[in-house]
Amino acid sequence: MPLGKRKVRFPHAQKPNRPTSSIPMTSAMNPSDSKARPGIPALFTQPPPIRDPLITETIDLQNATLEKCLPFLKGIHSTQKDFNDHGVPALQRDLHISYLYDALEDYPEGFVAMDASRPWIVYWALAGLAMMGEETTRFRERVITTLRPMQNPTGGFGGGHGQTSHLAGSYAAVLSLAMVGGEEAFGLVDRHAMWQWIGRLKQPDGGFRVCEGGEEDVRGAYCAMTLISLLDLPLTLAPGSQAREAGLESLTSGLPEYLSRCQTFEGGISGSPGSEAHGAYAFCALACLSILGPPEEIFNRHMDIPMLVSWLSARQSAPEGGLSGRTNKLVDGCYSHWVGGCWPLLESSLEGKPDSTEPPANSLFSREGLTRYILGCCQGNDGGLRDKPGKHVDSYHTCYVMAGLSAAQNHHYRTDSSIASNNFSSSFSWKSSPSRDPANVFSRGDRLEPMHPLYVIPHRAAEQMRLWSEAQPLFV
Amino acid sequence: MEGKYSTDPEWASVTPIDLDDGSSSGAMPLATIAYPAEYLEATSYLRAVMAANEMSERALSLTKDVISMNPAHYTVWIYRAKILFALDKDLNEELNWLNDVSLKYLKNYQIWHHRQVLLSSKAHFPTFPPKEADFLMEMFAQDSKNYHVWTYRHWLVRHFRLWDQPRELEDVEFLLKADVRNNSAWNHRYMLRFGPRDTSLPDAGMVNAGDLSTAPTEKGRLSIVDEDLIDGELKFAQEAILRAPENRSPWWYARGVLRAAGRGLAEWEGFVSGFVSEGAVKSSHAVEWLADVFAERAGKEAEAVRMLTMLKEEFDPIRKNYWDYRIRKLDQAVA
Ligand SMILES: [Zn+2]
Repeated sequence: MPLGKRKVRFPHAQKPNRPTSSIPMTSAMNPSDSKARPGIPALFTQPPPIRDPLITETIDLQNATLEKCLPFLKGIHSTQKDFNDHGVPALQRDLHISYLYDALEDYPEGFVAMDASRPWIVYWALAGLAMMGEETTRFRERVITTLRPMQNPTGGFGGGHGQTSHLAGSYAAVLSLAMVGGEEAFGLVDRHAMWQWIGRLKQPDGGFRVCEGGEEDVRGAYCAMTLISLLDLPLTLAPGSQAREAGLESLTSGLPEYLSRCQTFEGGISGSPGSEAHGAYAFCALACLSILGPPEEIFNRHMDIPMLVSWLSARQSAPEGGLSGRTNKLVDGCYSHWVGGCWPLLESSLEGKPDSTEPPANSLFSREGLTRYILGCCQGNDGGLRDKPGKHVDSYHTCYVMAGLSAAQNHHYRTDSSIASNNFSSSFSWKSSPSRDPANVFSRGDRLEPMHPLYVIPHRAAEQMRLWSEAQPLFV
Repeated sequence: MEGKYSTDPEWASVTPIDLDDGSSSGAMPLATIAYPAEYLEATSYLRAVMAANEMSERALSLTKDVISMNPAHYTVWIYRAKILFALDKDLNEELNWLNDVSLKYLKNYQIWHHRQVLLSSKAHFPTFPPKEADFLMEMFAQDSKNYHVWTYRHWLVRHFRLWDQPRELEDVEFLLKADVRNNSAWNHRYMLRFGPRDTSLPDAGMVNAGDLSTAPTEKGRLSIVDEDLIDGELKFAQEAILRAPENRSPWWYARGVLRAAGRGLAEWEGFVSGFVSEGAVKSSHAVEWLADVFAERAGKEAEAVRMLTMLKEEFDPIRKNYWDYRIRKLDQAVA
C-alpha cells in the first residue's frame, strides 16, 4: 500500500440499510456446487487445474478468497443485477457516481486518520468522476479553496494545512488541479518553489525522497517526474541540492539507473532496491521510465523485459480473473490499475517505434478475466468499488478499480506526434481508442472514459496543464 | 475553547495556529473531516511549535499525543525524530515505545521509516541491536508478508552488514517452514545470498543492475561464483518445490540462483521432467521451465511450442495471451 494511507470507509457504507458486509453468504449459494449463469466459461468458475495438497496460510487465504468470490464470478449472488449475455452484471453507474460525489463532502470524526491524505480523497473522487464522464470543472473553486492552505511557501503541498510538503500529496493536488483546469487552478501552484523543493528531495543515487526527512522510494520518483513533466519545471538541480553537491546535474540524472536497480530476480519491480517485487511499485517505476523516455527505448535499456513480462502476467489469478500485487498474495481490485496499468506501457514498448497508424491491439493479459472480476466481484451494493467481496468499498479502490476497467476497455498506444515542445515529448504522445475486441464481455453502457496511461487523468487535462506551463516558462 | 493545552501553563507562551481549511475564501472546501476537539487543539499547537522549529520536551510530548490520535500523520513523525536527536533522548526507550505502537497499528508504515531514521544513527547504534530481530519476528507472527517490515529488515541487513549473520537465514527458514509460499521470505533469502555487498555502491535488487555497461539480461550475474553455495541453494529450492510443486516462489528463486551463477536452466531438466509426466502434470512452472530449456536448444523449438501450448490450453489458460505471445516469438526466431 505505497501511496498514502488509504483504507477509507465512507459514512454511508455504515448506514444500517443493506449493509454490504452482513449479507449472509449462505442465502444464495453453496458456492462450489451451484451452477453458474449461462455465458460464463468454466475457466472463471472452476478452481485452477493444478492444486498442491500441502496447505499453508497462503493457501488458506486463497481458498477463503475463492469461496467468497465464486458466487459473484458465477453471477448467482443475490445482490448482483442487470446481467448481459456473458453473465456479467452491469456497471452500476448511477450508484457509483453518487458515491463519488458524496466522497467529496464531509466525513465524520472517525476519519481523522485521513487528515494527511485529503489531497488524495479529492483526486480519487475527481478521477473516478472523470472516468464516469462527469464534468469535473464544476469543482474548480472548491478544489482551489481546499488545496490553497496545503501549499507551503517553501514548495510543494502537504497532506493538509501546516503539514510538511510530500510528493504523494503534491501529486494528488496537482492532478486534481489539472482535472478542474483553468488559469486560476494552474496558477495556484508555486512552480518555482516546487522546483526548488523537488531539488532538495533528489538523492545522490538518482532517486527521490517523498518528503524532507522522509523515505526514498519509487513512488517518490514517479510523483516527482509527474510534477516536473506536467508543470514543465526546469531540469537543472537548484543550488543547495544535496544531489547537486554529490555531482549530479539534473533532476533526471541517475533516475533510470535507480529504477533499474529496483528490478528483482523475479522480474518485477520493488519499492526500493532490495525489496520484494510489488505491483504498485511496478506501475510507478514503468510510468516514471515512460515519462523519462519512449518505452521501446528506455525499457529495453534498463529492464530485463522477458522476466518483467513473465512476472507481470503471473499477477493474474484464476478463476478470479483479477490481479494480485505480489507472488502468492491475493487478488485485489486496486491492482486492476497498478498491474493492469503496466500493460499498455509494456505493450507499447514491445510494439516498437510508433508511426502514424494505430498499432493492432495485442493484449498480453486476459481483459475478459479482469473485466469479469471488476464487474462481478468489486461493485459495492450501495455504490463504490472494493478490493474483493467481503471488503468495504472506499474511494481509493473506487478510483483504481475503475482505472483498471478503463484500461481493460481501451487500447492505449503512442503516436509520433506530441503536444509538448521540449522535454518529455513522448509522455504527451499517447492516444487511446475504445477496444473493439470481439472477446469484450462488458456492455456498451459500461464503457468508461480513457485516462492518460502515465498521469491517470483525462488526456485533455494533462495536455492543458502542460501547454499552460510551457507558456509560462520559469527562468532559473 | 478550553482544552488540554490552552489551560496548561506550560503552553501559555504558545499561540496556536488554527486550522485553515480555506473556507475564508467563501467556497466550501472538499473532503472536510469533523475532527474531534482534542485533535483540532493538539494540531493547532503542533503547527505553532513546528513553525518556530521548537526542539523541546513539551513539543516531544505533543508529538506523542498527536500520534496517539492519528499515527498516519507523517509530518509529526518527522518532527518527532528531529526533536529526539536535538534533545539527545534515549533512543532505546523510543524503540520500546515504538514496538507497542507498531503492534497496535500493523498497517502503519510511517513507524518503519521512523525506526530506520533512529537506527541509522551510528552514534547511537554503532552495532546491530540483537533485540531488533526478535521484535521483527513478533511482527511477522502477525503478518508474515508485511511489506514495510521486510523493507526495513533488508535495510538493517545492509546497514549493519548482516548478510552472514546466522540469525537472518534462521528466521527466513523458520518462516519458510511455516509457509513455504512466503515470497517475502524468499526475496529476503535471495538478498542475503546474492545481493550486492559493496556499500560504496548504491543498493540493488540484483548485482550489476543500473550499470549501463552491462545489458539488463546480465543483471544478477555474479562475477565470482561460489559453486558450493549455488548448489546448496539449488538443493534448498528443490526441497521446497517437492513440498508444493505449484508454488511459484522456489521456481523463480532457482532461476535467480542459476542466473547468479551463469548456469543455464538445462541442468535441471531431469529434476523438472519429473513433474511433467504424461497424464500427470504436477506443476505449471515445470512445464514453463521445460519450454524455456527447449526454446534455447537448436532443433527443439517444436517441443517448446508443445509445452507452451499445454500451458495455454490446459494448465494455465488464464495466461493464454502470454503463452501465445511466447509461441509467436519462437515462431519468429525459427522463421
Ligand atoms: Zn487494494
